[in-house]
Amino acid sequence: MIELSHVSKRFGDETAVDDISFRVPKGKFCALVGTSGCGKSTTLRMINRLIEHSEGDIILDGQAIDVYDPVKLRRRIGYVIQHTGLFPHWTVARNIGLVPRLLKWSAADVQSRVAELMHLLSLPVDEFAHKYPHQLSGGQAQRVGVARALAADPDILLMDEPFGALDPITREKLQDELAKLQSRLHKTVLFVTHDMDEALKLADHLVVMREGRIVQQGSPLGLLQNPVDPFVESLLGGLERGLKQASLTRVKDHMTSMGPTLPAQSRIPGTFSLRQALSMMLRDHSDRLTVVDQHDVPVGELSLRRIIKEAQLDNGNPRE
Amino acid sequence: MSLMDALPSPRLRWDGRHPNIVLVTLSLTMLAAFWLLDVVSMAPNRIVAGTGYGALDAFGWPGALLVTLLLSFIGILASQPSHRHYRALLAAVVVVMALMPVGLMASSYLLIDPEMSQARLGIGAAYWIVLFVLLLCLVELRLRLNLTRIWLTLLLLGVALVWWLCVAFGLERLALVQEFRARDQQFLSAVVQHIKLVGIAVSVSVVLGLALAMLMRRYARLQKSAFAVLNFLQTIPSLALFGLLLAPLAWLAANVPVLSQLGVSGIGTTPALIALIAYSLLPIVRNTYIALEEVSADTLEAAKGMGMRTGQRFWQVRLPLALPVLLEGVRITTVQAIGLTAVAALIGAGGLGTFIFQGLGQAAMDMVLLGALPILMLALVVDAGLGALAEALRPGGTR
Repeated sequence: MIELSHVSKRFGDETAVDDISFRVPKGKFCALVGTSGCGKSTTLRMINRLIEHSEGDIILDGQAIDVYDPVKLRRRIGYVIQHTGLFPHWTVARNIGLVPRLLKWSAADVQSRVAELMHLLSLPVDEFAHKYPHQLSGGQAQRVGVARALAADPDILLMDEPFGALDPITREKLQDELAKLQSRLHKTVLFVTHDMDEALKLADHLVVMREGRIVQQGSPLGLLQNPVDPFVESLLGGLERGLKQASLTRVKDHMTSMGPTLPAQSRIPGTFSLRQALSMMLRDHSDRLTVVDQHDVPVGELSLRRIIKEAQLDNGNPRE
Repeated sequence: MSLMDALPSPRLRWDGRHPNIVLVTLSLTMLAAFWLLDVVSMAPNRIVAGTGYGALDAFGWPGALLVTLLLSFIGILASQPSHRHYRALLAAVVVVMALMPVGLMASSYLLIDPEMSQARLGIGAAYWIVLFVLLLCLVELRLRLNLTRIWLTLLLLGVALVWWLCVAFGLERLALVQEFRARDQQFLSAVVQHIKLVGIAVSVSVVLGLALAMLMRRYARLQKSAFAVLNFLQTIPSLALFGLLLAPLAWLAANVPVLSQLGVSGIGTTPALIALIAYSLLPIVRNTYIALEEVSADTLEAAKGMGMRTGQRFWQVRLPLALPVLLEGVRITTVQAIGLTAVAALIGAGGLGTFIFQGLGQAAMDMVLLGALPILMLALVVDAGLGALAEALRPGGTR
């Protein structure tokens, strides 16, 4: 668990982070969102003591971070940065094995752990273990970056705009993989990003920062439904907000059982989002979709009226 | 290729059909030098200035024709370049280089009367120019054929072997060889002394330079003053620096017995080493400092974030990444020191410079060459060797 209470950071007269408090419960994914220069990276780097905080308490698993040796603290925390920070003179395998080696694991243990991680991040060992970072694509390099952060199996993972430098397609792919990884590993993740869509997609909890302060925090749906001010609303995409909300809700949570009428022509898997359902309705000029399971067997039906009614209901009582 | 694309006129682009202007020009230059300048010179004894001889006198009709054909062959092949022609060109260049000492043997046979025991053969301007231009051809061909360093080294070693065999068995008339034969023991110890001086000066400078560069990184204020002093040292002419050191060191040696027992004196090895180190510090410190500072901040930040300690970050990340640039500094310094050490002979430090200054004193140009040529070769070998080392140490082969 990561817990910050009344944490501030001053550089001389300037206050970079001003009295912020938030909590990331064990196994949860928290995104720090804000425009550049809002103090989100500073906040992240205070947690692994790359920057020392000026005031307040930062507590990891019940212990204030000040009592740890900073070096030992950092070895317990996975850290991923935007430009990967891979060592260009080391092979992929050696880069991934860094922290285990620092922790004096035996060579055999390091090797098997590296192989395990490369497998986990879909980097075939034979193909990549002996490559150097400059031989990798941006996406591959960042996979190695994530593998390196996970190497010593830390409970806590800090990610500083890890996908910021990637092209949109690679970024989306890595986001999906990270989400999948998180659903298996249940790390306590603090993820810094300026991309609200990325945050909405990945996080259980969102912390929106502006000029060193927290403007609002809550669940993605909660934020979408009740942004506290125009700044948060614009970050959330203004008029697009309704669609973003729809993209967080799955079709199968809102379908009704099959009516007496004939099944609709268009079929949609239950795991898709309401946003995708809306898009399909627009495309097929239809106000009704047949919901199917993974074997393409019809299990229910979704109508436009239903979607709109659900949205109203959601506004009345936010999820969680 | 991007540079090629940036060329303004498409006609200047090399696309396989247009003549290789570089090689054609070089071939014409060699032909002109061969026919217009002295190929060799002959002197009846060591002191008298030699008489120059052109291509016909030196090689006779058949020899001159053979050389002309070979050189024209290079030009003709270069006017219709293709991969095969480039390979043939490489072969031709290597053959001409290997034939050069054979030519000298031919002219010593043609020009020197065996009765004249003191007569000696000098290498003429045409020879030097052709040799130099052939090396330029190799540079061009290396680019065209993507020759690796190892191949080039092997080819040059092969040529050197032919030269050595000729010198050992058939070129006793060559003035350079006679100068060498007259003082082979002295020559060997001069080479050793030269390498020793350079080796000590460079290794001391590397240690001092590394320490100084590290101090500069820690104390930013030191940086400006240290670079000012090192830059100033660099501007003192080498001869003046040797002179300036003479008085204080002589005084020290006279007044501090421990130092004189250690071999410190106004002239000789000590002042030479001090001056060489003073000159070597600037390039070492500058390159070390820049190399260490230029390591990407992202990488170092990641190293810190992963939990590497200060020492681990320096030895495992910063230093290895700085090494290629740092070695570049060592290379520049060593090549510079090899040249400067020649001057150190003036204050009695020995080394190959001894032959240069003795030769100048005796107006014996071949003796000057006996000192200058090995210095040149030493510099080239060190340059290539350290360059290859720096390249091999680049992270992951390239960066």
